Amino acid sequence: MSDETPAVPVISVEGVTKLYRRTMPGDRLRTLKSALVGRNLTNGLRPDEAIAALEGVDFTVGRGEAFGIIGGNGSGKSTMLKLVAGMLKPTTGRIVVAGRVAALIELGAGFHPEISGRENVFINGAVLGLTRKEIESRYADIVEFSGLGDFMEEPVKNYSSGMYVRLGFAVAVHTNPDVLLVDEVLAVGDEAFAHRCLRRIEEFLASGRTLLLVSHSLDLVEGVCDRVMWLENGHQRLVGEPRRVIDAYRQEVAEKEGEEHKAALQQRQEDPASEDPELRWGSQEAEITSIRLLVGGEERYHVESGEPVVFEIRARAAQALDDFVFGVAVATPRGTEVWGTNTDLEGYVAGVFDGEATVRLACPALRLGPGDYVVDVAVHSKEGAPYDYQKRALAFTVTARAGGIGTYLPEHGWEFTGGLKWAGRKTLDP
Amino acid sequence: MFRVAAQLFRYRGLLATLTSRELKARYRGSVLGFLWSLANPLLLLAVYTFVFSVVFKARSQGADPYALFLVSGLFPWIWTSASTLEGAMSLVASSGLIRKAVFPAELIPMVSVFSNLVHFLFALPIVFTALVAGRILGYNVGGISAVALPAIVLIHLPLVAGLALGFSALTVHFKDVRDLLGNLLTLMFFLTPILFPLDSISHLRYVWWAVRLNPFTPYILSYQEALFWGRFPEPSLWLQMATVSLVAWSLGAGLFERLRETLVEAA
Repeated sequence: MSDETPAVPVISVEGVTKLYRRTMPGDRLRTLKSALVGRNLTNGLRPDEAIAALEGVDFTVGRGEAFGIIGGNGSGKSTMLKLVAGMLKPTTGRIVVAGRVAALIELGAGFHPEISGRENVFINGAVLGLTRKEIESRYADIVEFSGLGDFMEEPVKNYSSGMYVRLGFAVAVHTNPDVLLVDEVLAVGDEAFAHRCLRRIEEFLASGRTLLLVSHSLDLVEGVCDRVMWLENGHQRLVGEPRRVIDAYRQEVAEKEGEEHKAALQQRQEDPASEDPELRWGSQEAEITSIRLLVGGEERYHVESGEPVVFEIRARAAQALDDFVFGVAVATPRGTEVWGTNTDLEGYVAGVFDGEATVRLACPALRLGPGDYVVDVAVHSKEGAPYDYQKRALAFTVTARAGGIGTYLPEHGWEFTGGLKWAGRKTLDP
Repeated sequence: MFRVAAQLFRYRGLLATLTSRELKARYRGSVLGFLWSLANPLLLLAVYTFVFSVVFKARSQGADPYALFLVSGLFPWIWTSASTLEGAMSLVASSGLIRKAVFPAELIPMVSVFSNLVHFLFALPIVFTALVAGRILGYNVGGISAVALPAIVLIHLPLVAGLALGFSALTVHFKDVRDLLGNLLTLMFFLTPILFPLDSISHLRYVWWAVRLNPFTPYILSYQEALFWGRFPEPSLWLQMATVSLVAWSLGAGLFERLRETLVEAA
């Protein structure tokens, strides 16, 4: 449960870099030469001919430890798992794994589609290093765990994806490996099976075995793992306590989304022709020229729940107007209104609007639940006749450290009295 | 090549399971099922006999009955060529298995070798029956020398295994191998004294040498000696077989070993 490296590592990865060869037409001879001479596919390649799937990755995992790897698609997670499994060799660096490894890399991999689940158990078990007798003695347990009793004589090609995972996981854990490598596949099983897997993983870890888990399900990783590594484009961004690493990862994902929202907004404002007529209408007697989201004084489109934000609208009236209302409405991307208001509702009586003007709607603390939101802005007459109505004028992403369900995240606290006692409380902040 | 041998020994149980699965899978869904293992060689025998004794009237030069001479060399050859061809394609065909799961890759071409060996062994009762029938009909064929057969098969095995292993790894990098190999094996077939006794071409000096120097020839000659002529193969034949087998295994398994680490990525 710490950032320190374990005393006796079961998995030790030192300065590992893995290059893949770019596929180039008419290159088969050189590939073969490289394979024969260098025993790899990247021998003597120019840098532009290779892609680094992993670069300079270091970590160790100890006995009884669950280590998680997170990161976006193509960040090198699966390559890392295949390296630890011994399927791939690192281009440079060293990987040492103590003990027997069982790997669930891909759904149904290692199964022969044409033959029965029963025979596949025996083949799979043998690949994992068990003798026929050992498999026979565990067969009943495997069937029981997988819950596939009636289907064991069916060819596995008729299995559903969930059944593949059940069987694969059942065989893998019953072979008692020292190290279990799991890539994502657990997400396919149903709720009941997922729970059974988690219990089994707990037992597995408690008996001093080691788990390496790759997943996009951050909640699963946080729930299971003792330490987490975040990979990005083959580089190790952060290793350590799950909450800290996952929060940092989530934060960055939100920032990227915020940047995308910003880019989309800018593109629309710079090139009004690209605007979807469905999303903007009005008489144009007054025109909204731009809208920005300011968070703590800085323009950005990812917000930590509770941060102060300002919706800033710039508008222009070609001729002086004496009847005008400014409005802002926040909704979820699927259209559920979350909050909306306008100057009329809040009692502002129109005087005169002529030329350029800036309207700011400030919220000292925007207490929205985590998720994406879209904002509509409008300037219209008191009767509601639109001068300029912009639907989904901007979008932003909200993150929230303390989770929660729904779109509203008020400040809150728990109080307890009476015959109630808590064993403790986990810290939520890094 | 030692590692390949060690892996094969370590996973021998799995190899047996996979081979029997392969055999079962081959006949799944067919009406005759395993009977095809007997029917195939019989039909093949009928076709070759018809073509070469009726249509082409091959010079048998004392190799009578021709059909018996033919099968004693043809079935071992089919084992060799089918294993090599199937083995060559086996890693590419099973790329899902080695790319996505931890799997001892050398088993895959070896399954081709052993499943085809089983087909060969299934054809032997037909050969023996035919030999006995031939003797009853008064032909001087076969004899006690047939007991040498297991030894010949055993010394033949490393050759077939070496070819399957080496070409399987090469095909991963070079899909062209499949087409090259098909044609090469056809050429080899005609350069091996299967359709004709070696002596029958002694007047064609260069062809005779080409056939005699063909590395497959000592094996075919030995099978023909033991099965058809009823003689134990001469020591020189054993020596030639041992040499070719050793070289083929070393090259094939060595090449496989050399390319092993790139197979997962390239398959």
